[in-house]
Amino acid sequence: MPKFLVLYKWTLDEQDIKVKSDDLSLDASRAKGKISDFDRNAIEEAAAIVEKQGGSVEALSYGTPTVKQSLKDVLSRGVDKAYWIGDASAETADAAVTAKVLAAAIRKIGPYDFILTGEGSSDQFNQQTAPRLAALLGLPCLSFVHKLEVDGAKASVARKLADCTELATVTGPAVISVLSDINKPRIPGLKQVLGAAKKPSEEIALGSLGLAAEDLQPKASRRSVKGFVMTRKNVIYKDAPADAVAKLVSSLAGEGLI
Amino acid sequence: MTNMTGIFIFSEDRALAKQLLTPALELKQALGQPVTALALDGEAAAELAGHGADKVLVLQSASGWVEGLGDAVAGLVGEASVILIGGTQRGKHLAAHVAARLDAGLTTDAKSLKIEAGKLVASRILYAGLAVCEEEQSFPAVATVPARTFPAPAAAAAAGTVESVPTAADGRIAVTGVTPVDKSGVDISSANKLVSVGRGFRSKDDLHLAVELAGKLKGEVSCTRGIAEDEHWLPIERYIGISGQIVKPDLYLAVGLSGQVQHMVGARESKIIVAINSDERAPIFEAADYGIVGDLYAVLPLLTAAINA
Ligand SMILES: Cc1cc2nc3c(=O)[nH]c(=O)nc-3n(C[C@H](O)[C@H](O)[C@H](O)COP(=O)(O)OP(=O)(O)OC[C@H]3O[C@@H](n4cnc5c(N)ncnc54)[C@H](O)[C@@H]3O)c2cc1C
Ligand SMILES: Nc1ncnc2c1ncn2[C@@H]1O[C@H](COP(=O)(O)O)[C@@H](O)[C@H]1O
Repeated sequence: MPKFLVLYKWTLDEQDIKVKSDDLSLDASRAKGKISDFDRNAIEEAAAIVEKQGGSVEALSYGTPTVKQSLKDVLSRGVDKAYWIGDASAETADAAVTAKVLAAAIRKIGPYDFILTGEGSSDQFNQQTAPRLAALLGLPCLSFVHKLEVDGAKASVARKLADCTELATVTGPAVISVLSDINKPRIPGLKQVLGAAKKPSEEIALGSLGLAAEDLQPKASRRSVKGFVMTRKNVIYKDAPADAVAKLVSSLAGEGLI
Repeated sequence: MTNMTGIFIFSEDRALAKQLLTPALELKQALGQPVTALALDGEAAAELAGHGADKVLVLQSASGWVEGLGDAVAGLVGEASVILIGGTQRGKHLAAHVAARLDAGLTTDAKSLKIEAGKLVASRILYAGLAVCEEEQSFPAVATVPARTFPAPAAAAAAGTVESVPTAADGRIAVTGVTPVDKSGVDISSANKLVSVGRGFRSKDDLHLAVELAGKLKGEVSCTRGIAEDEHWLPIERYIGISGQIVKPDLYLAVGLSGQVQHMVGARESKIIVAINSDERAPIFEAADYGIVGDLYAVLPLLTAAINA
């Protein structure tokens, strides 16, 4: 029976982040945390397979100490046990650091048959963690998966690429990244939320992973972050439809578009 | 094969591989190092050698599965300073594997690349397009570059050399079938005018309103992810956004779509953006040059009628 580990990132909800108009800096003071969108699909996929065929689902996240806030949510989604690494280094971590930390943690708590990730994290969208982790752990990796079937140690997948659908098989242990259309993540009900409180979670101290200080130094470091602003004309017509359309048509003609 | 300092490029997409030569040749100017391209066959290799690559290595692998070439490519690029990989999905997978092997950074979807103080500085988006950031990497530095970020270079005066290298691939993955996507003949990214539809449309049957308007404008119909992925009213290659297509038409006419950042990141480089939405607080109006606050069912037929063919 398959033993799954799902990797999830606790990110800020970008809908609550505002761009300050004076210096284009980001104001995240009102932003709440969320499980990165596609990671909910990864959790759902593992949970649904285990509910059908047996096995187990554990989850692991590396983040700043606020990552602890994610435990209830993740445990209410069909996960049996959650591990978390809360450390300030996550603030500046790039995909290289993240993959090293996760790989070291997996060496400690593993092995697993299948390690699932989202296609990309909703803040950085590096789309790197799954292949990097696989390279570090010496495991095969299947990315961009939109159908997953597990039969014993074997996984059969359909990958959705821009120009084709590709079918592939691999024997676990393997790392698999999933697309958002693989399933519809459950919305945990009251019972699941209450049940989550009784499920185990365990902190993994970063210091216990045997990583060197250098491993926590990002290879790609951020020099500047600026809110994207569009300067558009913002000419909005609120008249009755016929008048608004007449005005729009004359604007479009003025732009040489019709 | 190792210990070759230099700039390396690879993409299995031949058009994109050629485009990668443009930033690679700029980096060559800045670093004074040769450009080596990796290719999957002789024809692609000849093209790259003819457009500025000093050297092309033809990877001779039995499987041809690009994602499985990570270890081999990491071995070939040895002491590279900069490695540029075409930002297809296969390319991103390969790039991440190579970066991990080299213990290097990797900028995903780089929009610009330059050398400053011996580092690669690349710009990219964060938070699905809400912000733009600049990342710097020491060498070896890796970046993936999306299609059409750079134009292809002109033919070079002298052709580079071409060499074959036997290449081992990851044999643990078995590819058992490949079905090409039916593109239904439309390339949204090359359309000059787009009428883009969102969940403001109540049913698939109503899309004819957009089709007729697009017809009058001599444009195409595109959509939001929900229309393609959830409703399946339009094929997936017609949806715009961070996980869909990036387009830069002269006119982007957004109808009944709210304009969330994940969608707009694919459309915001359009020359003129027009919004039609019944909710005057919809974010799309902030992103629009012109807009009509109104019911699309009333506005679209009038607009279609008012445009002279
Ligand atoms: C990680 C991630 C990636 C994503 N990637 C993409 C992507 O690549 N592309 C994408 O499109 N989305 C993407 N999304 C989804 C995106 O966030 C939005 O949810 C989506 O774009 C909204 O689609 P919509 O505008 O069609 O629907 P809605 O947001 O529901 O908007 C419908 C709009 O129609 C208006 N309306 C309703 N009735 C009428 C009427 N009669 N007349 C006029 N207007 C009307 C409403 O006022 C509303 O503004 C992504 C989301 C996530 C989390
Ligand atoms: N800090 C993290 N902790 C746990 N999982 C992560 C973390 N960062 C990324 N991941 C996983 O890797 C996937 C891809 O992330 P990224 O490479 O940042 O786009 C995410 O969808 C998660 O499943």
